[in-house]
Amino acid sequence: MIRVNGEFRQRARLDKNFNAGQCFNCGTCTALCPVGMAILPRQLFRYVLLGAEEKIVEYSDSIYSCLLCRMCEENCPEGVLIAENIRALRRYLVEDVYHI
Amino acid sequence: MTEKKIGAFICRCGGNISDYVDVEQVRKEIAREDNVTVAGINMFSCSDASQEDMIANIRENGLDGIVIASCSPKLHLNTFRAMAERAGLNPYQYIQVNIREQCSWAHTHNKDAATRKAVSLVREGVAKAKLSEPLTPIELTAQPSVMVIGAGLAGMRAALALGEMGVTVYLVEAAPEPGGSIKGRKSLFPDNSSGHELVESLLERIRANGNIVLYTSAEILEKTGSVGNFTIRIQVDGKNETTLSVGAVIVSTGSGSYRPTDGEFGFGLSCVLTLNQYIDMLDSSTDTFLLNGRKIRNIAYIYCVGSRRTGKEGNRYCSRYCCSAAVHTAVRTHEVDPSIGQFHFYRDIRTYGAYEELYHEALKKGSVFLKYGLKDPPQVTEVSGSGLRIRAKDLLTGAETVELETDLVVLVTGMVPGENSQLIDILKLPVGKEGFFNEIHPKLRPVETVMDGIYIAGACQGPKTLSESVVSGMAAVAKSASLVLTGKVNLDPFVARVLTEKCTGCGECISSCPYGAISMKETPDGTVVEITESLCKGEGACVAICNEEALEIKGYGHNMIKAMIEALGG
Repeated sequence: MIRVNGEFRQRARLDKNFNAGQCFNCGTCTALCPVGMAILPRQLFRYVLLGAEEKIVEYSDSIYSCLLCRMCEENCPEGVLIAENIRALRRYLVEDVYHI
Repeated sequence: MTEKKIGAFICRCGGNISDYVDVEQVRKEIAREDNVTVAGINMFSCSDASQEDMIANIRENGLDGIVIASCSPKLHLNTFRAMAERAGLNPYQYIQVNIREQCSWAHTHNKDAATRKAVSLVREGVAKAKLSEPLTPIELTAQPSVMVIGAGLAGMRAALALGEMGVTVYLVEAAPEPGGSIKGRKSLFPDNSSGHELVESLLERIRANGNIVLYTSAEILEKTGSVGNFTIRIQVDGKNETTLSVGAVIVSTGSGSYRPTDGEFGFGLSCVLTLNQYIDMLDSSTDTFLLNGRKIRNIAYIYCVGSRRTGKEGNRYCSRYCCSAAVHTAVRTHEVDPSIGQFHFYRDIRTYGAYEELYHEALKKGSVFLKYGLKDPPQVTEVSGSGLRIRAKDLLTGAETVELETDLVVLVTGMVPGENSQLIDILKLPVGKEGFFNEIHPKLRPVETVMDGIYIAGACQGPKTLSESVVSGMAAVAKSASLVLTGKVNLDPFVARVLTEKCTGCGECISSCPYGAISMKETPDGTVVEITESLCKGEGACVAICNEEALEIKGYGHNMIKAMIEALGG
């Protein structure tokens, strides 16, 4: 079960640079991904929108496996900045979770 | 009497008829009938070329009546009546026989029987044409005034437009103030206009226009008369009665709002509001944004409450305005306090047309949308100390169960029919199965009702946005103004006629008439009844009740009906 946390995005400073709100779940990103991430980008971003912090930590390997090749971003029909969102998540993991 | 010359034309309808009915066989058999001077076949009778051919035929052969065996009269009765008139024939001596909807389409499995049935039907038409007589439509004068019932936005805008055309308008409102459902609203989608200002600016123009009389706290008591000449009695402030004469009536009484049942999505708990209640709260709050003295941190919206239901509870229809109203409200809330988290539990988002921009704005400002299915609707429970908890399956996150603690739940409810039973009874308004008023045709006659001269506008006809309400109000203005400004009304001549030589003056028919169109008349030869043609609807209750066959409907005489039955049987 996911506990929705409305304050997570603000607390993790993901509000300004994270634009997955307009994702309409078409799956283009998943079909194009050369890596085959263990979690679909669209599902990962849903967890972020809902503030499911523990899920993001659980899938940190996937977040780091992304090549940032931007093939998905180029082809996203809704203009979601997928690679930028992944980078924002990495920053959050480094600073707020691993405290590096 | 000289023998009548009848022309009969059988339509192929491009195969719709001739694929299943042997039209040549029908033509041959009809050509043998007495009085049939011409029997022809058309590929498409309604085409210009076929009409010109038939007109030439009528003129060359001096026909007294014609029969066209084609589609339903609903489609082309008026087309061919106009054609008959152009040929110099009385339009009521044209008879349409339906051999498409009621023959070829219904009997595609048996061509022989379909052909035999078509022959019988056309024979019946010929029998009717033989006895048809020239009739003239009844012309009545129309009062140059319109009553608009309901002074919401649609009614006020309609009244103003009519007033500007020079029509006298009586704008009748049940509430003490005009303005309907929007008068207190601060911000309406899509352009954030103020409901209060809209109402005030219209009122100012209505008051400045000399043709409009506004009655508030008014009630409709009685309606008599018919199209062009209604007499309506109203009561103002529960005491003063006034009688008004109008040529047409526009009903724009608006709608109600769906009230959830106790416990439906937590309705009844202190922090569960309907969208309208929440908008009231938003409209009345200033800079602080508190609920029961506590700052709001999270808001959850539940969409389609009471709408698009398949079972016994709630309504089957979509109210079409609520998605847009809810996302517009969310955008306003984001602007009041961007730190508030807003979660939308929806089934399908229907922010159609340009309202899609509102949805994208809500997304951009941080609203999160979660999709639920009817099988697993969100469950709302009260949590002591921390407000409310919603548990739902989010179909956008692989149907995982999500749980949200929230301070406020907003139930996005739709529109329901208003409470108008007295008005429905007085005006004899047609009501659809959902309880809204019914138009004659949803596409071609969208604001007319089966009651001639009574039009409907706005949300009393079904859920509408404000702009759609005003559009239908203006459509009703066009229809009612074209009626009252012409100054006259033409009615079909199919009204009752008294065969005075047979009438015994028993008066049985007087009480059978629902329109009060029959009265007693003294003549030198005794007492007989007489018909007031402007009141008669030609529905025939008096014909059936008269033992002497002393009443008949013009165009449907006793001898004609008998001849038609005989022709069908033979």
